[in-house]
Amino acid sequence: VFLRGSVVLDMMMMDSLPAAWDSVTSALVSSNSCLQMSPMSSCTLSEEALSEALDLLSGHSLAQCVEGWLLETMQVRLTAAVAPEFWAGLEQPENEVEERDRARVLLRAFRTLLVRLEPFLGGLERLGTWQEEGRGGLSGPGSRGLRERALSVIRAVLLFSPPAVLQDRVLEFYSRTFAVHMSREGETEGETEERAHPSDGGLCSGCAVPVEECWCQEALEQLEELSHILSRLQLLERVSSEAVTNILHRLIEQRMEQRCRGEYENSFLSDFQEWLEHVLGWLSRVFVSEAGGSSVRAALGSPTGQPGNTVLQRWRCHMHQFFCRIYVNMRIEELFSIIRDFPESKPAIEDLKFCLERTNQRQQLLTSLKSAFETRLLHPGVHTSDIITVYISAIKALRELDPSMVILQVACQPIRKYLRTREDTVRQIVASLTGDTEGCSDLANELSRTDPVTLETQDSEDEGSEQWGWFDTPDPVRSCSKRRSSDIISLLVSIYGSKEIFIDEYRTVLADRLLHQLNYNTAREIRNVELLKLRFGESHMHYCEVMLKDVADSRRINANIREEESRLPEEEQPPLALSAMILSSEFWPTLKEEKLELPPLASKAMEVYTHRYEKLKAMRTLSWKPHLGSVTLDIELEDRTLTNLSVSPIHAAIILHFQDKSSWSLEELSTVLGVPQEMVRRKLTLWQQQGVLREEAGGRYTVVETCASRERPERSVLLIDSDEEGDSNTTTQSEQREEKLQLFWAYIQAMLTNLETMTLERIHSMLRMFVATGPVVTEMDVNELQAFLQKKVRDHQLIVSGGVYRLPKSSH
Amino acid sequence: MKVKIKQWNGVASWLWVANDENCGICRMSFNGCCPDCKVPGDDCPLVWGQCSHCFHMHCILKWLNSQQVQQQCPMCRQEWKFKE
Repeated sequence: VFLRGSVVLDMMMMDSLPAAWDSVTSALVSSNSCLQMSPMSSCTLSEEALSEALDLLSGHSLAQCVEGWLLETMQVRLTAAVAPEFWAGLEQPENEVEERDRARVLLRAFRTLLVRLEPFLGGLERLGTWQEEGRGGLSGPGSRGLRERALSVIRAVLLFSPPAVLQDRVLEFYSRTFAVHMSREGETEGETEERAHPSDGGLCSGCAVPVEECWCQEALEQLEELSHILSRLQLLERVSSEAVTNILHRLIEQRMEQRCRGEYENSFLSDFQEWLEHVLGWLSRVFVSEAGGSSVRAALGSPTGQPGNTVLQRWRCHMHQFFCRIYVNMRIEELFSIIRDFPESKPAIEDLKFCLERTNQRQQLLTSLKSAFETRLLHPGVHTSDIITVYISAIKALRELDPSMVILQVACQPIRKYLRTREDTVRQIVASLTGDTEGCSDLANELSRTDPVTLETQDSEDEGSEQWGWFDTPDPVRSCSKRRSSDIISLLVSIYGSKEIFIDEYRTVLADRLLHQLNYNTAREIRNVELLKLRFGESHMHYCEVMLKDVADSRRINANIREEESRLPEEEQPPLALSAMILSSEFWPTLKEEKLELPPLASKAMEVYTHRYEKLKAMRTLSWKPHLGSVTLDIELEDRTLTNLSVSPIHAAIILHFQDKSSWSLEELSTVLGVPQEMVRRKLTLWQQQGVLREEAGGRYTVVETCASRERPERSVLLIDSDEEGDSNTTTQSEQREEKLQLFWAYIQAMLTNLETMTLERIHSMLRMFVATGPVVTEMDVNELQAFLQKKVRDHQLIVSGGVYRLPKSSH
Repeated sequence: MKVKIKQWNGVASWLWVANDENCGICRMSFNGCCPDCKVPGDDCPLVWGQCSHCFHMHCILKWLNSQQVQQQCPMCRQEWKFKE
């Protein structure tokens, strides 16, 4: 080279332009090796010669072409030889048996690549220096600019469409080094999971081969070298990012699957935080050279400061983002179970809250939770009380997750809507409020928390309508402007929009309870009413208070009458111990009216009781409800005695008749009791079950005085409560509604008489307008009205045609 | 067979023995109470006049107090006298 240099010098003297060109270009392309191989002196010598050659070239305004030529040459070489060699080097089937070999192949390919490209990079460096110094009139982007340009050419040519094999290899290699790194970190940190590995067959925990063949160290060194090469060629970002991202994703996911799935009672945040710091250690190995390279850039006055650090910082952000996203994804999937397990799952909710704030996935959460509710909860197979329990949990969990209540509001909207369609919702809520049902006791606790609550905060109207655009953009302004109560009881009560319905239902439940137990023990009910009074206000609970007072009064009156009777002589003692529950009818819910003729024994006793009452309370009398109440009785048969049976009055009446006459037909019983045959038959089954009566051929019932042992019924059940047809003494809600609708019939008829024909909507709005009596109309929706009108159509009281209703001609 | 009734718990509702359903003054049911009362029955009794009309006691007293000159039954305009 030195010789050639001197020859070049001579030729340049001879003013030979091509020679000058040659000398410059060859100096550039091979300068690197020149610098390395030859002593310093020779190089300085050729420096001078070069300067002159450059001058010559610039004299012919050719100097600027050198840059173009050099880049061009490099690109041609790259395309023709270097790149194919690189890809071929990467794919060496015979060397790919072992993972370790594959790692070596990968490294070797990159090493070769660097060696091949190094001369060009050196040349460019040199040219850049010249340009900066302005030698030979050169000007240009400088060494840094040239370098950028060359590297972008390399990236473009090499990685324009890289075969998948590169990513595969890199991914494999990185995964391995990651494992090695984590196992080493694990050892120092004493993580149990990684340390457990050496026990299984002597495999190295890092490289998963027998310990004696461990190549952990080698792998780490390879990693370092590879990182250096990539960083030198600025390929790090292009080659590694994808693999690193993949690995991080996979590992976080894996770890989360293993540790967190189904596990709601522990917080994982700090655990993961710690683990991510380890991972960051590995990342710093991958991107180490970049950090090293920063010193060069810093020397060149790079404004970025410490790029290595920023790269790591960036990856740290990425990683946290990955983590949050993956965590949120997993928890969203599990949210239904988490809610179900609340409050045990509180740590999971808190973690989720933390992560959700960092990812923009509220919408996803809402959608997924809503559909989870719909598929898992809101179908006919789920008991209402279970739905309410989940709803309560959801309220608690979601107000923890999102104090602004937007999620609660939107996600639970389907539940509320669905509960509105269930008939027993209110009853269930009331029952759990008063601590009747097992499982829902927290609602009773909630009730005793004494913060008086303002209800009516949520009007059910706009909940039902979905055109608010909630679902696209949860608008915090709007959501805050409406007062969003998170109080569980208010939320439950507001399902139906008004507390009146709720209180009515409570009254019904209370009436049922009081009429069922009939033991005048009202301590618990008094407490409940007091608590409800705090919630709903005194005036609303007024009726219930009167009911409870009735019970207390009845007890006093009974005691009074008893005392009076006890002073009577022996022979005038009443044959029947009768006590009464005396109701203020205006204040109790409508009781079922049933006719029942009681046997003289009972009716006589009631008459006597009424007389005594009339004496006690001037100008007042009693009206008995013969079918309500309960009777405790013993039955003595020839060979056995049934004691302390607790039955309803009609059962008692039936069996009392059998005392006088041992055989009755259904018809006879029906006549004497004043009760339809069907009902009598139903009531008779109780006595048949008890083995007291038997149905004989010809439809007659007779007393079974002696029974064979095999027929002896199981005597385990002594207390027989009411019978099969629901035990409510009060009319059901739907019956009451029906009654209320019936009220409108007069209005509707009048309207149709005047206006001839009307559409459904018209009728509805007219009713709304004119019949402004309390909650009744507002609660009647169009569908209900339609059903009602259709019933009228079926009964031929109304004609519908072409969507309009009118009265039949005959009714005019 | 012998049936021995140990205890019969009956249910009844009380009502005033009056010749009308509602109080002529407040139009509320006799079996309920006047608008000023919360509890019916003993706490809001009925009274009868000699003209045989009856009212919530609180209602007729209020009415009589508002009459300056002559105390008349609001229903029949006869002089109001409590029935003994």
